[in-house]
Amino acid sequence: MRARAWLLLFAALVVAALAAIAFGSVSLSLAAVVDALMGRGAPDAEMIVRVLRLPRVALGIAVGAGLGMSGAALQANLRNALAEPYLLGVSGGAAVGAVLATSLSVTGPGLVPLAAFAGAVVAVMAVLAVAQAARGPGDARVLVMAGVVVGAFANAAIMIVMSNVPDQTVRSALWWMMGSLGDASWAGVRWTAGYVALGGTLLMVYGREIEILALGDEPALALGVDTVSATRRIFLISSLLAAVTVAAAGLVGFVGLVVPAIARSLGARTVRGTILASAITGATLVVAADLAARVARAPAELPLGAVTALVGVPFFLLRLRRMS
Amino acid sequence: MNFRHAATAFLTISLSLMACTRDVPRGASTTVRVDDFGDTIPATLRAQRIVSLSPVTTELLFALGAGARVVGRTHWDSYPAEARAVPDVGNGMQPNIEAVLGARPDVVVLYASASNRAAARRLRQAGITTISLHQDRTEDFRRAAMFLGLAIGDSARGAVLGDRVLGEIRAVRTSSTSPNGGAGKRPTIFWHVWDAPVFTIGKASYLDELVVAAGADNIFGDRPESAPQVSLEEIVKRDPDYVLSGPTSAPKLLVNPAWRAVRAVREGRVLVVDTALVGRPGIRMGEAARRIRALLDSAAAASPRTTNAVKR
Repeated sequence: MRARAWLLLFAALVVAALAAIAFGSVSLSLAAVVDALMGRGAPDAEMIVRVLRLPRVALGIAVGAGLGMSGAALQANLRNALAEPYLLGVSGGAAVGAVLATSLSVTGPGLVPLAAFAGAVVAVMAVLAVAQAARGPGDARVLVMAGVVVGAFANAAIMIVMSNVPDQTVRSALWWMMGSLGDASWAGVRWTAGYVALGGTLLMVYGREIEILALGDEPALALGVDTVSATRRIFLISSLLAAVTVAAAGLVGFVGLVVPAIARSLGARTVRGTILASAITGATLVVAADLAARVARAPAELPLGAVTALVGVPFFLLRLRRMS
Repeated sequence: MNFRHAATAFLTISLSLMACTRDVPRGASTTVRVDDFGDTIPATLRAQRIVSLSPVTTELLFALGAGARVVGRTHWDSYPAEARAVPDVGNGMQPNIEAVLGARPDVVVLYASASNRAAARRLRQAGITTISLHQDRTEDFRRAAMFLGLAIGDSARGAVLGDRVLGEIRAVRTSSTSPNGGAGKRPTIFWHVWDAPVFTIGKASYLDELVVAAGADNIFGDRPESAPQVSLEEIVKRDPDYVLSGPTSAPKLLVNPAWRAVRAVREGRVLVVDTALVGRPGIRMGEAARRIRALLDSAAAASPRTTNAVKR
């Protein structure tokens, strides 16, 4: 990818983040926003900007980066441009883990993401087993079908867990499952960003391995890469990234599908480059989608996952058509 | 799986707060013979076996002395204590028709929300009289009392009971606005119904009326819905003097970093309301208004609140 393309991606992220800080359900003048950021604004403006909007934008960046990298790694690993944590049922599995942890009151700091990770790993294994039984994970449509089926199963499992908890909890959980950054706090930003940074670093470390895997099994074996354990490693890292985003913001679909394609269209050719560019683009997309969710029907809020699905589903259909 | 649909269903369950489609304009009929689904109640009705599919109407029937005729109630009915002995026929919204018919009722009372329309129609097809009633404003309660009075063959008693409860609320309002009782500026409140997403009460809710009767103003009293969704940003901007919340959510609000953006939360001015008492637009609304009033009074006495004049 050329320097100009990178600059473009960064500029888009900066613009989205600034817009997300400047706009919201309450309209503030630009001067009021700047004053609030400097810590010399009116008390209510300062609260709105610094306590409500800033952590939300920060969480959006972490979640978007996690989803983008997860999608890019899965696509390279599976050599399948439709691979994405939400469509593969990974996010659904993560949601089951998170819901189980929450309903069992295992909610210590950072524990929900780990429970979500466990759920995501189980889901990945189930999807790969189903796809293997059919025609192998290389077949895009079989893999997505397996993912959708596992996702449906995850939803059913969540409904059953939910049937036993008070109404209020159910409502909040359903809202969370539709994706939302509404719960953003600096503590949440810290652990989400921490896990996302960890996952991203691991992907960079194993970047060459993914590159070789993307060539296909035979060339990879010829180059001395143990494809089975390498594939498993990449799945684990991608699942971790997806699980962390689910624990932080619920089910936000299609980001991992859309952004690697944007990265490639901007000229990303290497796996590492695609993953990095997907992180930036994913962050931009989620921050922008969250802004849309906040202002489209203000003061009511739209579910973030619904906004990303509005962008992602047409994109998915275009891809599907081009493939067949 | 359609979560939107499921979410919508859950949002309506057991929440008499939720807005619902108005099928018949209020006051469209001069008599109380046509209910809020436009169905006519026979004047000669003498209900012997009643299934009440809303906690409010169950309370009412017991208060009218017809508790013994209630043969089915919802899962959520808890008042009066005797009501617990009545068989539970499940959820009041989109009820299980088989379970309702199993109680062999001659009259079924429903909450007139759009989602109950199909159930009312099927019950009427089965030859059962249905009475479908809105329960949003205090005036709806008076109307419900008159309908149920008619249903049990004692219209006068229904009317008296409805007037009595509305009179109790009026009395609280009068004492709140009298010169010695209502000295100084009226405090503003935010009513926290639930989080994620944030819902509160608007103009169409009886709770808005109770808050006003208790001498305070609802910061979202300008919203026409009964339960509008609002943003935290908007709450910060409207800066209420107090946040009113249920016993389970109040402690959570106080430790939630995002809610600390709201000054009243930051400064610990979160008042815990007894949701079992105030959560229903029923027979105990007068008591609920008095309780809200007492809550506000003791809060004001504990720490003289900063009035809007001092704020900025």
